[in-house]
This record gives sequence, C-alpha cells and structure tokens, in this order.
Amino acid sequence: MKIAVGQGSCGIAAGAQKTYEILENRLDKAQNELCVTGCIGMCYLEPIVDVYDGGQLYRFVRVNETAAEKIADAVNSKDLSAAFEFKISEDDEQFLKKQTRIALRHCGVINPEKIEDYKNSDGYKALSKVLSSMTPEQVIEEIKISGLAGRGGAGFPAWFKWNAARQSEGEKKYLICNADEGDPGAFMDRAVIEGDPHNLIEGMLIGAYAIGASEAVVYVRAEYPLAIRRLKNAIEEARKNGIIGKNIMGSSFSCEMRIKAGAGAFVCGEETALIESLEGSRGMPRLKPPFPAQSGYWHKPSNINNVETFANVSWIILNGGAAFAAMGTENSKGTKVFALTGKIKRGGLVEIPMGKTLRDVIFDIGGGIKNDKEFKAVQMGGPSGGCIPAELLDTVIDYKALSATGAIMGSGGMVVMDSDTCMVEMARFFLDFTAKESCGKCVHCRLGTKRMLEILTRITEGRGSEEDIDLLEELCRTVKDGALCGLGQTAPNPVLTTLKYFRNEYEEHIKEGKCRAHECTALLKYEINPQMCKGCTMCAKKCPVNAISGTVKNPHVIDSGLCIKCGNCKSVCRFGAVEVK
Amino acid sequence: MSVNLIIDGKKVTAREGQSILTAAAENGIEIPNLCYDGRVELYGACGLCTVEVEGNPKLLRACSTKVAEGMTVHTVSDRINASRKVALELLLSDHDGDCKAPCSKACPAGTDCQGYVGLIANGEYKEAVKLIKEKLPIPASIGRICPHPCEKKCRRQYVDEPVSIAFLKSFVADKDLEGDTYVPDIEPDTGKSVAVIGGGPAGLTCAYFLRAMGHAVTIFEQMPKMGGMLRYGIPEYRLPKAVLDEEIALIKNMGIEFKNGVKLGKDFTLDSLKAQFDAVVVAVGAWNSSKMRVKGEDLQGVWGGIDFLREVALKNYPSIGKNVAVCGGGNTAMDACRTAVRLGAENVYVIYRRSKDEMPADPQEILESEEEGVVYKYLTNPLEFFGENGKLTGALLQKMRLGEPDESGRRRPEPIEGEVEKISLDSVIMAIGQYPDLTGLEELEATRKNTIAADETRFTTSVEGVFAVGDATNKGADIAIAAIGEAHKAAVIIDRYLNGEKAEYKKPYFVERDDSSIDFSKMPKAPRQKMPQAQPSVRKNSFDEVNFGFSEEQAKKEAMRCLECGCHDYFECKLIAYANDYNVKPVRFSGEKHYRNTEDKSELISRNSDKCILCGLCVRVCDEVMGKTALGLINRGFNTIVEPELNKPLAATDCIMCGQCVALCPTGALREKSALVKSVPVSESRAESICTFCSNLCPVDYRYIGSSVIRALPAGEKGLLCKGGKFGVLAYKDKKSASAEEYIEALSGLEKYSCGSLAVIAGGRVSAETAYVLKKYAEEKNAELLTDADETCAGYYALNKLGFKPVSDSAKEYEAVLLVDSDCGLSAEYKAEFSSLSGRGIALNTPYSENGTYFDKFGNERRQKAFVKPSAPVFYEALNTLLKNKAQDVTAEAVKAVAAQPSGEVTAEDIINCPVSFDF
Repeated sequence: MKIAVGQGSCGIAAGAQKTYEILENRLDKAQNELCVTGCIGMCYLEPIVDVYDGGQLYRFVRVNETAAEKIADAVNSKDLSAAFEFKISEDDEQFLKKQTRIALRHCGVINPEKIEDYKNSDGYKALSKVLSSMTPEQVIEEIKISGLAGRGGAGFPAWFKWNAARQSEGEKKYLICNADEGDPGAFMDRAVIEGDPHNLIEGMLIGAYAIGASEAVVYVRAEYPLAIRRLKNAIEEARKNGIIGKNIMGSSFSCEMRIKAGAGAFVCGEETALIESLEGSRGMPRLKPPFPAQSGYWHKPSNINNVETFANVSWIILNGGAAFAAMGTENSKGTKVFALTGKIKRGGLVEIPMGKTLRDVIFDIGGGIKNDKEFKAVQMGGPSGGCIPAELLDTVIDYKALSATGAIMGSGGMVVMDSDTCMVEMARFFLDFTAKESCGKCVHCRLGTKRMLEILTRITEGRGSEEDIDLLEELCRTVKDGALCGLGQTAPNPVLTTLKYFRNEYEEHIKEGKCRAHECTALLKYEINPQMCKGCTMCAKKCPVNAISGTVKNPHVIDSGLCIKCGNCKSVCRFGAVEVK
Repeated sequence: MSVNLIIDGKKVTAREGQSILTAAAENGIEIPNLCYDGRVELYGACGLCTVEVEGNPKLLRACSTKVAEGMTVHTVSDRINASRKVALELLLSDHDGDCKAPCSKACPAGTDCQGYVGLIANGEYKEAVKLIKEKLPIPASIGRICPHPCEKKCRRQYVDEPVSIAFLKSFVADKDLEGDTYVPDIEPDTGKSVAVIGGGPAGLTCAYFLRAMGHAVTIFEQMPKMGGMLRYGIPEYRLPKAVLDEEIALIKNMGIEFKNGVKLGKDFTLDSLKAQFDAVVVAVGAWNSSKMRVKGEDLQGVWGGIDFLREVALKNYPSIGKNVAVCGGGNTAMDACRTAVRLGAENVYVIYRRSKDEMPADPQEILESEEEGVVYKYLTNPLEFFGENGKLTGALLQKMRLGEPDESGRRRPEPIEGEVEKISLDSVIMAIGQYPDLTGLEELEATRKNTIAADETRFTTSVEGVFAVGDATNKGADIAIAAIGEAHKAAVIIDRYLNGEKAEYKKPYFVERDDSSIDFSKMPKAPRQKMPQAQPSVRKNSFDEVNFGFSEEQAKKEAMRCLECGCHDYFECKLIAYANDYNVKPVRFSGEKHYRNTEDKSELISRNSDKCILCGLCVRVCDEVMGKTALGLINRGFNTIVEPELNKPLAATDCIMCGQCVALCPTGALREKSALVKSVPVSESRAESICTFCSNLCPVDYRYIGSSVIRALPAGEKGLLCKGGKFGVLAYKDKKSASAEEYIEALSGLEKYSCGSLAVIAGGRVSAETAYVLKKYAEEKNAELLTDADETCAGYYALNKLGFKPVSDSAKEYEAVLLVDSDCGLSAEYKAEFSSLSGRGIALNTPYSENGTYFDKFGNERRQKAFVKPSAPVFYEALNTLLKNKAQDVTAEAVKAVAAQPSGEVTAEDIINCPVSFDF
C-alpha cells in the first residue's frame, strides 16, 4: 500500500511530522511505501493520512499518535477496517467532492518533493508542447481564449499583460511570480508552492517563453520557509532535468529561475513595491504608469503574475483555453481558489468554478457556521476587500458581481463571521493592519489610514461622536481617490462596506454605547444577576482586580469602576449568573 | 511631436511624453505639488497634483500622467479641492512647529516682531522699518506707547524676561527718522478716492495703505492736528509730539490731503462725503469719558480722564489743586495720575477697586508712577463725591475685598460693609473708560453699546460704501495697535471694494506649538536691556520724555535675545502656503502626533523631523542627483521618518554638505546655517548669479535682505553647488556688504581719472558678472584691466576669458587704482606696485577692510566700510548702474561674454570632487 501523509504547513502544525515518524517506525516498509504530500485543503481535519490500497483511496483524518499507530497496524495487517474509526466522514468528504480542482489539482495528491511524481501526473507536458509546437503568440492566444484573469486580486486579463510585455521592446525581459501572499487568512499560494511547486515552475516557464523572458524570479515571503525549501528543491530538480537553464527540453528557449525571499512587508505584494524590493530598495510602490510591462525590474519589461495564475497555465495549455473558458460566468472564467476561514465548520482551501454562489461555498462546502450560529457576513479579499452581509449570500462568485457589493474577489481570502463578530471592530482590525503595513510613502495612506484607525478605535471604545461617521466616509473617499497604490486605494473598503451594510452598528456604538456582538470590551458591562448567583465566591476568587465583593451564599456584586472586563467571572460561573450587557 | 490638449478650458500644446504637470506649468497653470522636482524620478507621494481628465473616473496625478492628444484636463474642481484639502489637513495633523512666532500672532496688527527684531540684530535697520511699515505706519510713536501684547506672549519670559520688542521698534523707527527715511512705494493713481473721518491711529493707517495702493485719500479731522488719541490722549512725557509730527508728516507727504478743524455733522456730513468719494472710512474713535454713576459726579473739579488729558495736550493746563484722585486701573489712569504729578499736585491717589495683581495697567507704568510719588489706594471704590458751593472738596471711599472670580477671570470686588474712608480732594479724574460720539453718524446701524456696528471681517457698515474701524466700532475702545490692525485689514478690503470686488479678511492658518511642550531650562540666560530713563525727581517736574531710548549697542544686544520661535522657512514653505489656499482645518483629524523634539544639528545643516512631510525629495536628490546616500527612509506607516544612514548624525555619513536636500525641502524640516549674525525668517530678495568659488561657473541663487547675504542656493537646470558654493557665504558671516548706494558713492571718487591713468584690478574671487561689468566700466573709462588671479583662483577662468592681464605684467604706474575682490597679498611685486599708489586707490571688497596693513597705504576714508564678500549681487548692480550702456541682464551677458561652459556640463562628480574648501 502507499501511504501519504499531508505535510503542508497546516498538517505540520497539526502534528503531521509526529504522525509521519510513528508511521515510519511502525510500518512494514517492505510491503508499503510511505511518502509526504502537500495540503489537500481540509486544514480543519489535519493531520490527514491517505492510504492507497490498489486503486482505492482510504482517507484518515485528525490522525494523532494513537490513530497513527492503529493505522500503521491496520496497514501492516492489510485490514484497514481496523482503523476505520479515523476515516473521513461522508459529510466531510463533501468538502472535496463539491470542488473542481485545476490550480490545486495535484495538491495533497502527489509528492511535492519528487519531480517524477509531477511528471507522472502529466507534469511538464504542457511546457514540452509549448516549446515544441507553439509560438509565443499562440501561447498568448490560448491564454486569451481561456479568459484567465490575474488571481492576485485585481483580476486583470493575464494575456493582456503577457502581450504587453511581449510587445515591449527590449533584449532583456523578466518574469516574476508574486508569492508574497500577505492577506490575513489567505494561504492559497502557500498551499500551491508547498504541494505542487513544479506546477508553478511549469506555468512560469510557459509565461517566460510567451513574453520572451530569460530570467524568472519567484518573490516568496520569508514567512513561508517550507514553501521556499520545497520550491528551491523543485527548481534544483528541474534544472537537473534540463527544464530550467539553457536550451530547455532541447529547445532554443533558455530561462533561469531563482527565489527571492521577501522580508515580510505586506505592501511588497503590490507589484511595483515588489520590484523595488527585488532591486534591493525599500519596498515602496512606484507610480504607474509606466507599468512593469514597459519598465519593471531594473527598468526592463517585466511581467508579474500571482502563484495561482501560473498554477492554471499548464492545465490550460494541455486542455485548451476553451475548456477553461467553459467554466465560470460570462466575465469570469475558470475556477478560483478560496481560503475559507473564520467562524466556519470546515475551514480550508476551496476551488470552485466561477459562477457558484457564496452560499455554495460557505454552506454547501464549508458546512455552515460553527456551533450553528447565525451567519452575519463574509469578508472577501482581506484588508483590501469588503464584507458581504447575509442578505447577499446568493451573490455569484464573479469579478463583476462581487465588486458590485463593494467587496472584491481579491486573492481568495474568505473570512466568515457570525453574530459574535462586531463589524466596527472588524473594520478596525483591518485598518490596524493596513495602517501598520502602509509603506509611509503617500500622504493619503500613511496618515489617512492612521486617522481612520483612530476614529474607528474611538468608536469601539465608546468615545465616538456622530460626526465621526461623516469624517470616516470623507476619509474613505479621499484615501481611495488619492492613495498611490492598491494598498491605500483599497484600505477603506472594509470600512465602506461595513458602513454600507452595518451602519446601525456604528450608530449603536456611538449613540447608545452598545456593542451588540459584545466584542468591544470598553462598551461591555459585567453584572451579576442576584437571582441566579448562589454565592459560591468562585468569581470573586478569580477576579484579577478584586472588583467582585460578596459573602458566601449571598449574591455577589461587581464594582464596574474596578472591572477590567476580562471575562474571568463569566467563564468560571457555573450558574450563568454573570451577565454581559 | 506636439500634443494638443485642453487644460482648464485653455488650449495647450505640449510635447509628447510630457506630464500634465509640466505642460500646465509651461502654460502658466500651476498645479500644487510638494514632492515633484524635475531632476529626480517621479515619486507621487504628496497626492496634491491630482487632476481630473474627462472620460476617466479616477483622480489622476498630474506629475505622472502623460499628456495625450485631445485630452481635456481639469485642475480645479470640488472633488480635486476636497482631495487636496484632506491631504494637506492630514499632513498638518502630524506637523509640529510654529509657523509664526507667538509675539507676532499676539500683535493685533500682526506685525512681524520676530522679523524686525532679527533684522535689528543684524543691523538691517532699514529693512526692519520696511517690514514694520508693512503693517504699522507709525512705529516710532507706537513703539513708545504700546502695551505690547507681543511681549506678554514672548517665550523668552520662560527663560528670563521677554524681549523688549516695543522699545526695539521705537529704536529702529527713530533711527529711520534720523535720515534717509523709508517711504513706501506708491502705486500709480487709480482714480479712486477715499474719505477718512478721523485722523487717529486707525484713520492714519487706513489712509497710509490706501494711498500706497494708489488711491486719493483725504482725512477729515475735528481737532487742529492729526494723531487722535496719540496726540490728545497720550501725555508728552510718554510720546513727544515732535516724534508723532514727524511720522504724520511722512504720511502726509505721500500725497494725502489733511483737513483739520472740520467737524462731522457741522462742517460736512456723511452724505456729502458719500457723494464726493468712492468710499468712506469712519475712524472717529471714542472721545467721551465714561461716567461712574456716583453721586457728586457733576461737581466742579471732577474730570473725565480723556477730557483732562486733552486739555493738557492742548496746553490749557487745568488747575487741579494739591490733592488729586484718579479713579481706574488702566493705562489712561496711569497717564492721568502721572500728568497730575507733573501739573504740580502734591498728593495724587489712584483709587482702584481691586488689588495690584488685577490692575490692567502696564506694571512698568505703575512702578514709574510710584517712583514719581503716586499713592495707590487699592481695594477702594468711590461711594460719593462731595463738595461745597458746587465745587469738589472730597470723596467717600468704600473699602472692598475680593470675592470669587467673574467671567473675565478676575476676582470680583465686593464692598466690606461699614468700612468707609473719607479723603479731602481738590480734583477727581475718572479714567474708567470711554465711548464714541456718534453725532452725524446716526444713519449707521449702532450696537447695543452705542458703537458703530461694523462687520468684523469686511469692516462694512449698514451703509454701502461706508466702512468703519477702530475705537468707534463694535466692542469700543481698545489699544492703538488694535485699531491700526483693523485699519490695515480694512484698507486691503476697501481696495478690493474699489476694484469692484467683494472680499473679507481671513485669519491665516498657522501651525503652532504649545509653550508647555518646550524645554526652556537649558537655554542660557541673558537679562533684558534696561531702558535708560530720567530720574524720578527730574521727570516728575517735566513733560520731557521719560525714556531716552536704546543705544545701538543695547538694541542689538536686546534683539539677540530673541529665541527665534517662528519657523525659518515660513516665507518659502509650500505647505503653509497651500494650507491657506485650501482653507484647511486640520483639527478635524487631530490624533496621535509625533513630538520627536530632536533636531539633528550638523555644523551646516539641521534637520527637524517634526516638520518633515516625507516628500522624499531630500532622500532622492541625494541619491539620484548627487549619487550619495546620506539620507534614507526608515520605519513604516505613520512612523516613517527620514534619517541619515545607519541613524548616524548627518556629519558622520558620506554627506558632502552640498545642501541639495535643504534647497529642495518644501518645508522647514531641513535648514542650512544662515550667514546672518542672527538667523531670521524674512522674505528674501534673490539674485541669480554665477558662483565665484571656482571655475565651474555653477549658477547660484543668492538670497539676501538689505545688504546681508543670507544664503546661497543651487540654481539652473541642474542645480548643482558644492559645499563651498553653498556655504562659502558663511565665511563672511559677521561682515556686511556695502549697499549699492555706498558703492556708487565710493566709485564716484574715480570719476576724474581716465585715459590710461586708471587701473581696474580684479582679485581672484570676482564673480563673472562683476568681471563683466568691470570690463565694461574699464572700457568706458579707458582703463587698464588687470588681475592678480592665477589658476588657483576662483575667478581666473572668467577674468582670463574677459582679457584681464596679470598685474605683474604691468610695470606702469597709475594715477588711480580700483581694486576689487582682492586679498592684495599675493606677491611681493604686487605689494611693491601698490606701495607707490598711496592715496590714489579705492579698495573694494577686500577682506582687510578693517585692519589690513595695506589699507592704510592706498585707501581713503571710504574704505573703512567693510566692503567684503559676498557682495557680488549688490556690487555688480551698483557698477552696472554707473555704466552708460547698462547691461540688460548682467548674468546672461556675463555668461555669454565669458563663454562659460554651459552649466549642463558640470556634473555631480565635479561637485563632489570640487577642491574648494573653507574654514567656517
């Protein structure tokens, strides 16, 4: 049997290395083959162990040490049913079954550390096809037919950028892959690099061929050490196999490829800031125009695409642009990967064809809200995106339709929120992120986001005034208009959308001093219901600031002047007597 | 290829590839920007240059958007203005400093106190007077009597004592009256006429400024002479009328018609003026004394304060007897009691219902009156004046105590029941206030206080074309400088009115620091200069002026005490200019603000991060133009800051002190060391010239005021200047150049020499312009052109090209020699040659002007003036003035004549390697 242990960052975090060790020590290696694979996308079920018995796949989930031992024993005894208690439930199987995987097609399936595995799954066939039988123009045409749009967030047609770089005059051209995935809650790119690095390399080489680049750079954030290690390994393997370097696959096309580890600035995900950083300068965006296609890396024509964009390329070449375009809606073709997180039952990576609804993703695939609470909103596109409220749950996943709500498709972050989420606090959280990540170059972003954050903070702390909402809206408008790069231009989106859909929450904070989600501690008031309190003294003992007084068997009282709203009393009370207002 | 487009409705032709910003600028449409400079790469940080292009929904940055055929651009719209305004407000919400000094802001007339104090410190007296007279036309008078709100705000008081701003003003104004008195330029006649009713400080000021703007002005005054309360309310011992007369004469001589002894309602009416003049200004003042509503007020011997002072001023000295009481605690009370002393009263009391601490009068006045024998009866209030046969004999005084503070913040006086005091008196002078006489002005809407209701920003009254200012309006009587401030502002508005425009006074926006945020503890102390005064025993018997005025030495010392609070970049700062253009209210966005409070002071350049707007120009010009990386950006977001590499002090980096960063800094964040003795923010004059420190012939922009060169800035397309060019002017820091007039006077001594008997000898550091005009001068005079410069000298290149011969080649003896910009010490032969010229030469601009040995041998008394560098702009101007065939553009002609390398050929590398060095 072949046993594959999911060892993406998520699997490792859940303990997959220990699982692997146990299997390695316990399995009868003469009979079985143990290997690693990337993240299959069901991060909430990690560690995951896939056992292939002939053609049949048995998937075991949440494989802790005991489970690993039992599975090893079951494999050794050739009777997997002994371990079926750890098998994935039918419900959970729906998570994958309802997806359509193109970019992620090899993730969690093949061994990312072996080029043979990739080759055996049609790997590098597209590149071979391109180099042997297609002109660069034909490649671009195929991509144009596919309708592939940049998956980094802006959704700009990939062929157009390729073509612009192709048309740009210049001996030296560069192809750059943007793997500086920085949105909080987004991990699509990491999964691709960790689980299928050759697919990225192949997509990039096809792109490099199309635009005429002789050098390709992958800009990966340094916070992705595993991705960097696997990609490095894959580049080395590819080079050894004549796939990177001079005369690739015996053709006249030569291209070098290297990795640049980014130092962790969110703004370096903005293409011109990324170029500055690549050149060794401070990561600050450049004015556009000129666009990188005219003047990019070292002021040479350059093309930058996101990881997921490149991950679709080899499939398109092999299956034809039309097959890709057959999926999706009129203006959004193919599939899109989402990182589903937040208050969701099944969090992980979801790839679906464009045209599905948010409801499909959140309820059908994601299984709905954790603890069956009420769905409130979903934040699309991270700090640059916006929230979409429950009443728009049937919005179709399509660039245009999503933009119409005020949110964006974004790179694929999808953070689900329930009734315990305060929308003002959520906007504040994202503003805090963008304000800190602003590079400081342009006035609107450096100071505009700071002032917006201050206003939001004052509202969440109960110090807001009614004019603050107008001021926020004015700042949102001017920052959107005036900021230099995408970071600043989109930073107001979380505020604008929450103001659009949840204005009443802002008003409640300001006028009534109330946070309905009970998230804004400054607005909370802890009180003990004297009818419910049994006088057990537990709360008084746990109170870190001695704000609770009372005698045994008599109702206790919280001194709101001293209370720091830590919530200890509420969590220790066995009688539900502590009430938060 | 040219591109046609429309900018703000104007058809414009631009070059292909050009940005909207530069295309607009070339067509006279200025688009605001703070981070653009043609020499460095586009940056796009400030976001001010946004424009709208039809068909594009976004706001576009004009700096980076290229022109396109058929494009329609709007540089002004509500959306654009709102965006710019917010950007400016955001910038200002994190900008710390004082645009203007507290003294200047405290002055109701907005006189630039820091400016004129600084100019006095530098000995630039004429410039100081000019600056004062931009706001205040009678400084010698006002300097003497002003209660100086400026000094109350002067931050020097937190170190020791405030700067004596008012007396510095009268010092410099007196000096100006001594001779060569400043007279403002008068615009060509506009054909418009204005009548001013009232010749007091407000009326005179309004007339002064309106006349300077070219309008015909007539002042109607009921009293025999002009001056108003300054003449008839302020005693002679404080303000000698001779001084006032001189200042008023200057105003009259501007061509203002004075009509004295004419009374409104009797000799003329408002209607008659309205019919005759295009505008009328009512500045009638407040000439009635307020009553106390105390029994016995009508007795003979009870005087109104200003009535009493007026009688004295008219020399109708009233007989006031031996025992005199003055009621009130203001400055009029001080004037009254001290006048009473001088009229011979033996016992003079001041009756004031509060205590000394609450007294509004100037403490100095209280002190001086006490020295003169005035007795203060604090915490007393007259209950009744009594008398015999209708004549005052005494007063009953109620004793008071202080209760809770009232709205004014002063503790409210309350009577102590039963405690009264009776005193014998011959006279009482009630100095408790004054109000206007509105006879003849009934047509104008009045306030509840029975003053004229005037719009506070437009100075208009209820009658079209009639404006009102000063004590007669709104809140009533105030100090003279307040009336002057209003009058100046009103003059500007009236000028616009006469042009058919509607305008209103807009209080300018300033960034200001909180006094409490400044650490004064480490500032060295230097006591305030004492005003020399007559002895009390002498002065109490005389109306002669009490104060003798500062000596020049005292004035300079006192002026040096200024802490220089106001931003030194105020007149150049683009941020504050835009802030006022866009009516900012940054307080909307107030939040966390950086108070780094650290000024990185290198010897020549200082940086203040609290004023930095992160436009990046300094970082970029250093890197991109000079190829250095002395400065860089660190941190992110709100905490982004410009710092020298590795956080070292600037001097420890590879900085070559070329000053490019300073030149490009749009705010006061970067400053160069000033070549002035006392650095002072002033509106500088500029002279574009050629740097004289080496033969690279770099264009330079000299900034000067009067005859003091303040600094040098790189000029020209490339804007390159080395440390020497930039900071060489500092080598002459404590020297002054002569003025153009002084040069002309000095040169006139050479008029009689010509035809080969005169030699013009230029030293090695003449500028190209000076060399050029010297050559023209020599040609006109038929003089020999010589130089003592060799290749090591800065000016050699230009001199050689213009045909100056080495001085050693000439064995000829000259009747006279003009020696310019030479250190006259190069060689023994040279010295010998000059030794024989005793008494027949004029040496200009030599470093030895004061104590050099050669000086005595061939100079005359004129050379005692410190004619030293950098005199180039002034000197070539003076010389050019003397020429029959004046050069139209000295710089351009000089460069042409010298056939200089075009400035374009000098590179940053030349600058970095420039051998010029100085000990500063």
